[in-house]
Amino acid sequence: MNPIREAELIETRRHFFGKAAGGMGSVALASLLNPELLAGAPARPAAIPPSTATGIDGLPHFAPKAKRVIYLFMSGAPSQLDMWDYKPKMQDWYDKDLPDSVRNGQRITTMTSGQKRFPIAPSIFKFNRFGKQGAWVSELLPHTAGMVDDLAVIKTVNTEAINHDPAITYIQTGSQIPGRPSTGAWLSYGLGSMNENLPAFMVLHSTVNGGFGGQALYARLWGSGFLSTRYQGVSLRSNGDPVLYLSNPNGLSAKMRRKMLDNLAQLNRERYQEVGDPEIQSRIAQYEMAYRMQTSVPELTDISGESQQTLDMYGPEVKKPGTFAANCLLARRMAERGVRFTQVFIRQWDQHGNLPNDIRRQCGIIDQPCAALVQDLKQRGMLDDTLVIWGGEFGRTIYCQGGLSKTNYGRDHHPRCYTKWMAGGGIQPGIVYGETDDFSYNVTENPVHIHDLNATMLHCLGVDHEKLTFKHQGRDFRLTDVHGNIVPDLLA
Amino acid sequence: MNSRFIPACLLVLFSFSCSRADEPDFNREILPLLSENCFACHGPDENVREAGLRLDLEESALEKLESGNRAIVAGQSSRSELITRIFSEDEDLLMPPPDSGKNLSPAEKEKIRKWVDQGAAWSRHWAFVPPNKPEIPPARKGWQTHSPIDLLIQAELRKQNLSPEKEASRESLIRRVTLDLIGLPPTVQEIDHFLDDPSPNAYEKVVDRLLASRKYGEHMGRIWLDAARYADTHGLHLDNEREIWPYRNWVIDALNSNMPFDQFTIEQLAGDLLPEPTLEQKVATGFNRCNVTTSEGGSIDAEYYVRYAVDRVETTSTVWLGLTSGCAACHDHKFDPLTQKEFYQLFSYFYSLTERAMDGNAKLPPPVIKVATEEQKKELEKLNAELASIAKSLNEKQTALVANYSDPTPDGKLGKLEQAEKVWFDDALPEGARPEGNEGGNSWQFVSAPEHPVYSGKKSTRRSGNGLTQHFFSSVKNKLALGKGDRLFAYVYLDPKNPPETVQLQFNNGTWEHRAFWGADKGHGAGRNNASNLKIGPLPETGKWVRLEVEASRVGLPEGSQVNGWAFTQFGGTVYWDRPGRITTQGLNPEQQKSLAVWEQYRKQVKQPPLPAPIQKILDTESGKRNKDQVKQLVDHFVRNVHPEAVAAIKPFRDQQAAVRTRVDAVNKAIPSSLIMEDRKQKRQAYVLERGEYTQQREKVDSRIPEWISPPVSGMTENRLGLAKWLVSRNHPLTSRVTVNRYWQHFFGTGIVKTSEDFGIQGERPTHPELLDWLAIDFMEHDWNVKRMHKQLVMSATYRQSSHVTPEKLRLDPENRLLSRGPRFRLDAEVIRDSALWVGGLMVEKIGGPSVKPYQPAGLWKPVGFGGSNTAVFRQDKGEKLYRRSMYTFWKRTSPPPSLSTFDAPDRETCQVRRARTNTPLQALVLMNDVQFVEAARKFGERILKEGGESAKSKIEFAFRSVLTRRPSPTELQTLANVHAEAKDEFRNNPHSAAELLKIGESPTADGLDANDLAAWTLVAHVILNLSETVTKN
Repeated sequence: MNPIREAELIETRRHFFGKAAGGMGSVALASLLNPELLAGAPARPAAIPPSTATGIDGLPHFAPKAKRVIYLFMSGAPSQLDMWDYKPKMQDWYDKDLPDSVRNGQRITTMTSGQKRFPIAPSIFKFNRFGKQGAWVSELLPHTAGMVDDLAVIKTVNTEAINHDPAITYIQTGSQIPGRPSTGAWLSYGLGSMNENLPAFMVLHSTVNGGFGGQALYARLWGSGFLSTRYQGVSLRSNGDPVLYLSNPNGLSAKMRRKMLDNLAQLNRERYQEVGDPEIQSRIAQYEMAYRMQTSVPELTDISGESQQTLDMYGPEVKKPGTFAANCLLARRMAERGVRFTQVFIRQWDQHGNLPNDIRRQCGIIDQPCAALVQDLKQRGMLDDTLVIWGGEFGRTIYCQGGLSKTNYGRDHHPRCYTKWMAGGGIQPGIVYGETDDFSYNVTENPVHIHDLNATMLHCLGVDHEKLTFKHQGRDFRLTDVHGNIVPDLLA
Repeated sequence: MNSRFIPACLLVLFSFSCSRADEPDFNREILPLLSENCFACHGPDENVREAGLRLDLEESALEKLESGNRAIVAGQSSRSELITRIFSEDEDLLMPPPDSGKNLSPAEKEKIRKWVDQGAAWSRHWAFVPPNKPEIPPARKGWQTHSPIDLLIQAELRKQNLSPEKEASRESLIRRVTLDLIGLPPTVQEIDHFLDDPSPNAYEKVVDRLLASRKYGEHMGRIWLDAARYADTHGLHLDNEREIWPYRNWVIDALNSNMPFDQFTIEQLAGDLLPEPTLEQKVATGFNRCNVTTSEGGSIDAEYYVRYAVDRVETTSTVWLGLTSGCAACHDHKFDPLTQKEFYQLFSYFYSLTERAMDGNAKLPPPVIKVATEEQKKELEKLNAELASIAKSLNEKQTALVANYSDPTPDGKLGKLEQAEKVWFDDALPEGARPEGNEGGNSWQFVSAPEHPVYSGKKSTRRSGNGLTQHFFSSVKNKLALGKGDRLFAYVYLDPKNPPETVQLQFNNGTWEHRAFWGADKGHGAGRNNASNLKIGPLPETGKWVRLEVEASRVGLPEGSQVNGWAFTQFGGTVYWDRPGRITTQGLNPEQQKSLAVWEQYRKQVKQPPLPAPIQKILDTESGKRNKDQVKQLVDHFVRNVHPEAVAAIKPFRDQQAAVRTRVDAVNKAIPSSLIMEDRKQKRQAYVLERGEYTQQREKVDSRIPEWISPPVSGMTENRLGLAKWLVSRNHPLTSRVTVNRYWQHFFGTGIVKTSEDFGIQGERPTHPELLDWLAIDFMEHDWNVKRMHKQLVMSATYRQSSHVTPEKLRLDPENRLLSRGPRFRLDAEVIRDSALWVGGLMVEKIGGPSVKPYQPAGLWKPVGFGGSNTAVFRQDKGEKLYRRSMYTFWKRTSPPPSLSTFDAPDRETCQVRRARTNTPLQALVLMNDVQFVEAARKFGERILKEGGESAKSKIEFAFRSVLTRRPSPTELQTLANVHAEAKDEFRNNPHSAAELLKIGESPTADGLDANDLAAWTLVAHVILNLSETVTKN
């Protein structure tokens, strides 16, 4: 039996046999075993219950700054060179070869390792200084630039993986090889849910120009690995049922569903009397939660109550379900409702060619909603305890992939430095952290490995990344594997 | 038995018989404490070993340390540094160090002290000592026993003051054993037959019937596929489809034919290395081709060869050794004695396949094998015979024609031929053309000199991208009309700095199935090599304009075709295109075609389509200098291929040939293939890899087994076959134990060793070590007979107990590890779905074959799928494919079937031998609302109406028994009768609702049933299918 399941059974039994109820908060979603629910009480309205003991024993390890995370994941790897990492000297290097001393024999992908030359492609975008510290931001991000004082921009994030699948698996699970739990699953396991009517970990996929496409994503990126599957992310979909199998079948009205569940519960209870298996009681509770989700999820996705002012902040796309703007607004609504970890994916950042054109499109999609989300949270006083993270799985090369012209170029994958930003709960606002060389090729100061980034994120949530572990196959596993250092300079 | 082993066995026997009740048992009590708290720094991993102290080996633990102290002085805890340290109150001295997060409780410390004082008796970790047949305790009066299994279980129960439950009711028993052996509930007929059978061996008869059922192999095979990490896609990046289901068929067949487990092992790990392996034995090696693979652009081969081999070592050691070898990929194992070098010696067995690092996103990345069915083989034989016979007649006819040929106009002269070139467009698209491509309407990028190369006019079009990318147009106003022998052409310039792998032209005459490509076969229609994707030649030279030309008829555009669209396609790179068009050449008239001399002159001017190389060579030779044989060859070619009358005369034969060949192709195409193992001729050298990194090669290593686990077997080869034989050797301490433990887990819910994937020092101890040993030896002594072992388990009194539980037993044995009652736990995802299909009468009882795509909510693959992936769009199957057993459901690794994964079906990315059993609201939603389950309820409702007798009571009883085997209690009967009555009222008032409900799912509704009544019974069925008991084995 799975150890989680085991702990939960114990919890269940404690409950039913009146032994030491409470105290041993051993299970996330322990609220499922709430006595009211067991008695088949009617659903309560969706609201954040007072911070009840959920998650595993002893967590959070210390007082958290952030209660929840919204992770805006730019799948495909946006170019730090054209958005954040300003390299004015490169203008003089146009079409000159990347010096060997910079590349230093480090491995590169086989997409460009066969190129005879590595000609430098300076960014064609204008950069300006913004905010109190005068952070450099390119013209691609006018809205984001306007809120740079709320962000900690990290220019020295680095990883070892050089291809999408291993790299995104790495940053999301701490290992390049499939099989480990995703970040959201770790948090859902460790910290539990803050809302008994919604999953603790939710995932949103964004359309680009009405479609998907771009680098692939994988269920493992929000999977639970060797943790119980109850901790895996639940996708909130913009088409069909927002949560899979949420709607009653045609012909079965809500009233009939309620009646059916009452009858079902009665039959299950009778069986429980007969055989005494606490698992039956737990299943009755699950059906009640399922029933409540049938109303709490549609309530979550219904944005008709949002003010025009709010909608305007996110831009015109916000009313189109599935767009990045709509997803950012939903992420805020989830944060309000106590979803612990919300991950918004947007793809199509993998710009090996035609980068100027494509990055303009992508930035046009994400810039305003990103800024709106942070400002919206701030206005509602939620930025203090909500951690927002933006970025991709690696960066892009200064040298051009494919044909180089004054107006067009492409960039290959670059793992050794790239830019992400963090904002809100526990993070020092208004800073730019780390420095890279003139080619944005190597870190010269203050590297932040992706394990460090994850360790810092967990720290904001009151979690010691070395202590949130799970024993599997005889070994204690954790999100940061055997690595990771908190970056104190990033902390407020 | 190998003589080297006798002392070890004696030692173990000795230590068993000597252990006293009050003495802490090293294996059960001390070793786990040392392992958990000390081995991370004082264990097998020499790189992190502190203070030179190694506690996992007796001799080193007793040695003098660098400090001069001794960690352990047997019998004297006061002189043992270990004891001083664990009891120390000085934080700097305390062990384990406070910052390690490890901690010994006072009781644990005391236990260690006691053990040292009593002589620090050492023994090997239990799992590394070969099993010994235990003494079987006597039976207790009044307790039912059927085998030593029961006696060994009951001995433990007595120690804990527990008693077993009485035998479960026959109704419970038949449900339990049927679900366990074939994964479906019993039918009402089967239940009645069992209930009415007065013979003393009635239960055994049921068991034998189930073991003989072909569904047994499916059910047991499905469980094995978790271990094999079987899936229908490659798993990484594009996650394209993979064809390896013949391996799944092999697993089902092997289990149904009761293949002994040792053979089952050898064939899967090394079937290809057996002397003269059969086709089936090769297919069996698919086991270790089930790992995830990639073909992501930019990946480095060397890295993935290592990853694949590591996965195979980890899988093989989890499944057969019950060891978590993965840690040793980076460093010596911290807990178990497996060194990093030993890991790479195991790795070496799997490092030398002929596979490629990149799967090519192909369905069948080699090595693969065709797995023809008997019918297919026969059909091919027959067709080949037909072909031979046609060829014979054809040859006779041709010989006669050639012999009779003479040139009617040997001095005939051919004037200059007219050639007309029509450029279709230049610098702008033809009128009416709709620009399209990867970027939609913006796909056409016209560029000009001097920044870009241009061939003619002012502009060319440019395209740069990854993977398959293109721009095209269709629906022009003035179509391009093609005449006889017309060729299509375009000019291309490949960027030398970023050349593509493929360039391709595609033509549209209503369909796009007209393609020609140059370079790698990576364009649209890759792998076909016919008119819908014809290979013309290598990639054109880069850095210059090259004219590409293809004869229209060769791409399926004969005389009279109208081209209305053109696509410029490439795989990767940067490509410029310019000046596409058509060229028409005047042909020979029929009279001229009769003359070899005229034709020769013609072919000197017209080189398309190319002649066979030898014929071209003859033509290039001056006619006077040709030898006799060349002359003959030339005439031969001319008569057969050009001379109109001769061609007409042999046409019927050629047509016949083509028709038969089409049939051969069809049969060949239908023959499935499967991925298999195959070693390279030249072994790839393996190295110890520092920190597991493929670039950090250290010491060279060869294939070798870790001998400390079990000595080599005689005549063992240093390849996978040797490894497999070693795993199933009689002295091996692990394989049999690990295997019977998984069987135990299957029937009882939890293994005797709960961590069925980890028998190492960090794994859990067995609850019943003697029983585990007894089973392991019994399994080997009976030649690894799997069905016999399964029968033995389900025949035991332990298995047959009632699963009723009292609060008292819940307290004393909460997880039922002591088996004080029968097993009760939630069913596996597949069993839940299959049972619903089964009672709904929907299940299609066909065994084996390719995977199917039953219902899943729309749009699940799209948000994750890579555009170029062939699994980016889910296309649901129709008809019987919706109702196959769940083991045949198409498994896309990056987006597994949600109704199954919600019930804890693993992702199949890595080997898994133990599933979680959660209980979540999402599961409730699946059972409540998934079309599959609602449809099953609807069809079950029909069965209730048709087969459930006249009265409501008999109908409810039929429904209840079909799912739960037992009859409903009076209150259950009443509740369900109410469900029916209320629903009927509801539907009577809302007949529209009934009609809607009855439309769910694609199976038709039976005729002649009252819609409201059927809908009401559907609801009764729906309630029953949602019961906790329904998804539980009890």
